[in-house]
Amino acid sequence: MSDTSPKTARDEWGTRFGFLMAMIGGMVGAGNIWRFPYVMGDNGGGAFVLAFLTLLFLLAVPGLMAEVALGRYTNKGIIGAFRDVVGRGGMVGFGVVVLLVNIALMSYYSPLIGWTLYYAVHSLLFTFTAPGFEAQAFMDSFFANPALMIALHTVVMGSIAAILALGIRRGVERIVVYAVPALVISLVIMAIRGLTLPGASEGIAFTFGVQWEYLIASETWIAALGQALFSTGLGWGIALTVGSYLREYDDVPLGGGVFTAIGESSIAILATLAIFPVVFAVGVEPDAGTGLAFVSLVQVFPEIPLGGLVAILFFAGFFLATFTSGLLITEVSVTTVSEETRLSRTQTVLAVCGGIWLLGLPSAYSTEVLDFLDFVFGNWGLPLATLAIIGVIGWVLGPERLRVLTVNRNAGIHIGTWWNPVIKYVIPAVMLFIMAYFAWENFREPEMIAGMLVLVLFPLIGYAIMSLVEGRRDTTDTAGVTGGDD
Amino acid sequence: MALSAEVLGMLAFTLLAFWGVSLWALTRTLRQESRKVDILEHQDRMDTYSPEALAELREWIEDHPNDPLADRARAQYNECVDVVTQTDRHFYDWSDADINRLERL
Repeated sequence: MSDTSPKTARDEWGTRFGFLMAMIGGMVGAGNIWRFPYVMGDNGGGAFVLAFLTLLFLLAVPGLMAEVALGRYTNKGIIGAFRDVVGRGGMVGFGVVVLLVNIALMSYYSPLIGWTLYYAVHSLLFTFTAPGFEAQAFMDSFFANPALMIALHTVVMGSIAAILALGIRRGVERIVVYAVPALVISLVIMAIRGLTLPGASEGIAFTFGVQWEYLIASETWIAALGQALFSTGLGWGIALTVGSYLREYDDVPLGGGVFTAIGESSIAILATLAIFPVVFAVGVEPDAGTGLAFVSLVQVFPEIPLGGLVAILFFAGFFLATFTSGLLITEVSVTTVSEETRLSRTQTVLAVCGGIWLLGLPSAYSTEVLDFLDFVFGNWGLPLATLAIIGVIGWVLGPERLRVLTVNRNAGIHIGTWWNPVIKYVIPAVMLFIMAYFAWENFREPEMIAGMLVLVLFPLIGYAIMSLVEGRRDTTDTAGVTGGDD
Repeated sequence: MALSAEVLGMLAFTLLAFWGVSLWALTRTLRQESRKVDILEHQDRMDTYSPEALAELREWIEDHPNDPLADRARAQYNECVDVVTQTDRHFYDWSDADINRLERL
């Protein structure tokens, strides 16, 4: 959407491939690279894969279909989509909840993208294979440099703003159609390098060895549930926003549901094949999170032939994975704010990215703040957003209405009535269970108390804001389409 | 260290279940896109529902005649019926018997 075009002229994806890569780019993030391989190996390997695959098809695939379909049905961002369903009034505030969670998520995700950028730059400088390099000391000095962290956070948000200002087709699509395939290619090359190293088979045995007893352990299913829901970005507003830019004859369930959920998980599998054979070949202790990406792997690169080039492939891929997610997470707010205000797209991008940059300063300054926010929003904020989106589809719009009107319209695969109870009952129940489980696990911890505040305050703030805003507006088109609980 | 048959089997299953399904979905949806483009180059409109999905839409409209979305649903139904009966190239598999049974609502 150019700045001079009227707001009624809505942008759309230029190609089907662009839409698909935007979905994958938005969903594949740090969790696929630095969390999935260890979680898989630590929870029974093949047993975890079976549990994860089951939950992907049971929850993530149908849920993503619903979210994309809501975006396509309304052709609007989060708040506009909620208003179209619930009608004007305070209940639109649940859309504000999703928006607030997205802004909070991006405020601490941007500094994390900055970490991957820093390591990607140093991989290009062959720092990690230089004589006398110490991975742990390098990471510690990096994390102890708040000025550098803030500078990287600024570069990341500035880059995202520059791309988003160009619009959906000229900005986001042009980046993702190259970035996502580049990520896949870099991981494939790294996997080939890793699998051809002596001792790589131990990494394969760790991650793909089947420990059947894990299949009946609740921890395996909780871990698989967390991965299936959080890794696919279900209910964060990304799929809704990306779906709102679909073209007239585009399909929803095959591309927005099956391909997105299974495709983004395939990249996690590929990351496992790229990382763990290398880690085990060198005899380094497997780990997750910063310990895996910034210490274990960095220790490995000097030990293997062509290690400097493998480091470039890994960190370039890692940066692309996080950066494209950041792009799409920010687009959720840009689309919505642009529709709800009189600001042009460029003005909206500047306002949103500026706001996120400001809110992200504490996370850039201190990794403790980042970890705290990640825990609070990962365990309660994001499930709340998912509950809001799937709840409004399941209990207000009605899954059967959405299925016959949008999901099966121009669809590449037919979705039957089995889909309705999954959207109406199963996913909301699972989200409530997850929030309760994490609250019980962290009972009375500061993170749990902050999580409860998010659960209570965000809906109240959203309701208050929209009651105030909607009350001032003309109410001639307030109908909504409530009463669709089949 | 030689990998056991079980590990190799699980590796093969995982690659097939994830990459196999992803590549199948990607190929299928991109081929469908090409077919849609071909059809739209030949005619300016295209059928929007499969026979099964259109029958479900009709059933829903008949079961919910007073629903706030009934008019929208009826318009979508009639649009698809018009396109299927008035054009010669269709995206979905419509038999002559299917087409002859179609009626506007």
